[in-house]
Amino acid sequence: MVENRVLLRMEGIEKRFPGVHALENVDLDLYAGEVHVLLGENGAGKSTLMKIISGSLERDSGKLWVDGNEIGNLNPEHSQNLGIGMVYQELSLCPNLSVAENIFIGNLPKTKIGKVDWQRLTQMANESLDSLTLSINPKELIGNLPVAEQQMIEIARVFNKNPKILILDEPTSALSDAERDRLFELIRLLQKRGVGIIYISHRLAEIKMIGTRVTVMRDGKIIGTTIVKDSDENQLIQMMVGKNLEDQFPKEKAEIGDVIFEVNDLCSENEFEGINFQLHTGEILGIFGLMGAGQAQLARALLGLGSMVSGEVIIDNHLLRKHTPNEAIKHGMGLLTRDRREGLISMLEVPQNITLAIRSQESMSSLIKLRDEKKIADDYVKSLQITPPITDRKVMYFSGGNQQKIVLARWLCSKSKVLIFDEPTRGIDVSGKADVFRLMCHLANQGVGIIMISSEMQEILAMADRILVMRQGKIVAELDEGATQEDLLRNASEF
Amino acid sequence: MSKTTNLQANNGTTDRYTEEKTTGLKAILKNTLLKGGPVIAFLLLAIYLSFASPHFLTGSNIINIARQTSITTILAIGQTLVIITGGIDLSVGAIAALSASIASVLMTQQLQIGSMLIGPLDFGWGILIALLIGATAGLVNGLLITKGRIPDFITTMGMSNVIRGAALLVTGGLPVPSHITATEMKGYLPDQMVWLGNGNLLGLPVAGIIAILIVILGWFLLRYSVLGRSMYAVGGNRDAARVSGINVDRTKIMAYVLSGLVAAIAGFVLAGRLNSANALMADGEELRSVAAAVIGGANLAGGSGGAIGTLIGALTMGVLSNGLNLMNVSAFWQRVIYGLIIVGVVLFDQWRRRKFSS
Repeated sequence: MVENRVLLRMEGIEKRFPGVHALENVDLDLYAGEVHVLLGENGAGKSTLMKIISGSLERDSGKLWVDGNEIGNLNPEHSQNLGIGMVYQELSLCPNLSVAENIFIGNLPKTKIGKVDWQRLTQMANESLDSLTLSINPKELIGNLPVAEQQMIEIARVFNKNPKILILDEPTSALSDAERDRLFELIRLLQKRGVGIIYISHRLAEIKMIGTRVTVMRDGKIIGTTIVKDSDENQLIQMMVGKNLEDQFPKEKAEIGDVIFEVNDLCSENEFEGINFQLHTGEILGIFGLMGAGQAQLARALLGLGSMVSGEVIIDNHLLRKHTPNEAIKHGMGLLTRDRREGLISMLEVPQNITLAIRSQESMSSLIKLRDEKKIADDYVKSLQITPPITDRKVMYFSGGNQQKIVLARWLCSKSKVLIFDEPTRGIDVSGKADVFRLMCHLANQGVGIIMISSEMQEILAMADRILVMRQGKIVAELDEGATQEDLLRNASEF
Repeated sequence: MSKTTNLQANNGTTDRYTEEKTTGLKAILKNTLLKGGPVIAFLLLAIYLSFASPHFLTGSNIINIARQTSITTILAIGQTLVIITGGIDLSVGAIAALSASIASVLMTQQLQIGSMLIGPLDFGWGILIALLIGATAGLVNGLLITKGRIPDFITTMGMSNVIRGAALLVTGGLPVPSHITATEMKGYLPDQMVWLGNGNLLGLPVAGIIAILIVILGWFLLRYSVLGRSMYAVGGNRDAARVSGINVDRTKIMAYVLSGLVAAIAGFVLAGRLNSANALMADGEELRSVAAAVIGGANLAGGSGGAIGTLIGALTMGVLSNGLNLMNVSAFWQRVIYGLIIVGVVLFDQWRRRKFSS
């Protein structure tokens, strides 16, 4: 099936962001009619590389050929004209517009007097959908379609511009398995028409199903490329993960005590259901799931944010009745949100941020002693080694790792007994990650119960004492120590 | 542990850490412009006017400015609280008019409600009722915005019309006391009320003293109270405030209640100064108060601002309008100029925010 025509070739692509070498001497090529899987952990450089191809980022150096012609600087428009189409991970459709309008948005057919030609639009949409063997009503509103069909519309929109090269960035992350099969059929159809497809994923299981070749990236470098038929999973995992796990994950085992936190039959409207688990003092309980498995909503619901509709949450023998964040915090809960911007008031200084959770427990009319507040902040800056050690500075000027420590200080300050870390290392550099893990262990040693929600397999395997795996809103497995990445993936993605 | 403070990013996006530069002429200039802007603008304006008009730097004119500015200042402090939480209160002028109108009607006339005869009430009851009306209007604003989830702008704009309409109904469109009530029933506004607007205490205008007291209270509330801190947190980052257990709705409602409360005070002082209340008074004060807060450093996106800055903002507006009068600029042109200033200030605020975030 693989033709020999090279659609895209890259040599020695380099990209640096201040302080980080995002892409280092990257070579990659793509043949017509192949599905080239790009595999790597979060932060391996996949998205950066794709952004360079689609023209939304400029490369520092390196050469790029499309269809044999060398291409200089790219911008998104230029890239589109070269026949490169990109389907982003987050859907970018307008839910209030029809399928047809979404496919041809920005390019609607017009009558002579400049009015939208609805008849022709519907007809064009029908043709476009037919050519992809999709049977979707072009007049239907996008918002009424299931996610998989929305994904197909997204592809139809990109495909409408006749791309020779199609980039799919984790297209299955929000899809059920049946929906995924439909998507794969569509991909195979495009493949037969000679389109070259770059398929980004971190799901190993999908590689055998759809891939022609697979390239593994890690830390901004290409680790290797192999033909899918000749590869085996263990080898790919080895390539993805690399070595020296011990340095990255300074795990110390803490003494595990009594139950401090208990969740009984927690259900939300449609994100998760029937969640039951217990957490002990000194324990790090991991919750793993692929994107969209419900773990993100669960984290927020545990603190009382949003979507829980029934069930009980018991912390330190107190049943949370109203289950507002305020009540949960009062009884000793804390949440480090996955997006730090959601956790910090960036234009306030360090002391105000650190004491925010204790202020929320005070009456609105009580007064603040600014000097005490400053002293509290100084103490945490010292004990958590927050750098630079200055407190009268807005938190927006601190680095990711240090911001994470400031959020952590807030929960230490409010004497949290149960801490939820939701994707604690997202956007944090390697040394910052090790710091955060060290602090987690330190807290566990002091008897804090920790719930660690992560989609990074190695870190959750290394740090958690016990792992719950979520799939489609349910806990489907409980894994003890010694579980492997394969165990995680098998449980998280199977039917 | 980590000794590096330089920027690291591992997901292909740049991290948000940038070293704050405090050295270098450009940085100093930028910093002064961002932080000291209001003071500089105020001083430049005052210096210019003292050369441009011989009447500007006279004792009587300065007292006049203080009186004129006091109403805007009082309203702008309430407005500042609301803007800090990320909202905007376009009903403050209407609230001032309604509360002063109702209180004045009750203080100057005898009303029959059912079989009860009420009034004329004395000054103490009058001010209490005015405050109650102001706070209630603020509460309704706050509840509509938080529980009804209507945008702040729409809610307070709509309520502004409702409240003005109510004030017209209450007064029948006439000033209170009207010449009829005043001559037939000897219903004048209480002396104390007139004193609030026009009187002097130790040689200083009482209205100005009230404004300064409210500025101090606002400053104290914002700096030292948990409520003030919650306001900054809610306006700075609503989600983060919620995650930290702050009751976002209650904080916003409190801001609107306080804004309504000080609007009632402003209405009372204004009616005292005019020796009469009417349904259309304090017209345009809602935008003037927004402008004062924004000139004083409040960010319309929420999370920043302060009482002292707002005072300077209000003074700038007051001095400007005084100056335009002294220089015989026509009232029509003044309206154009105020409109331009308000738009210009918000434009400057946008520019400042972009500079700030980049």
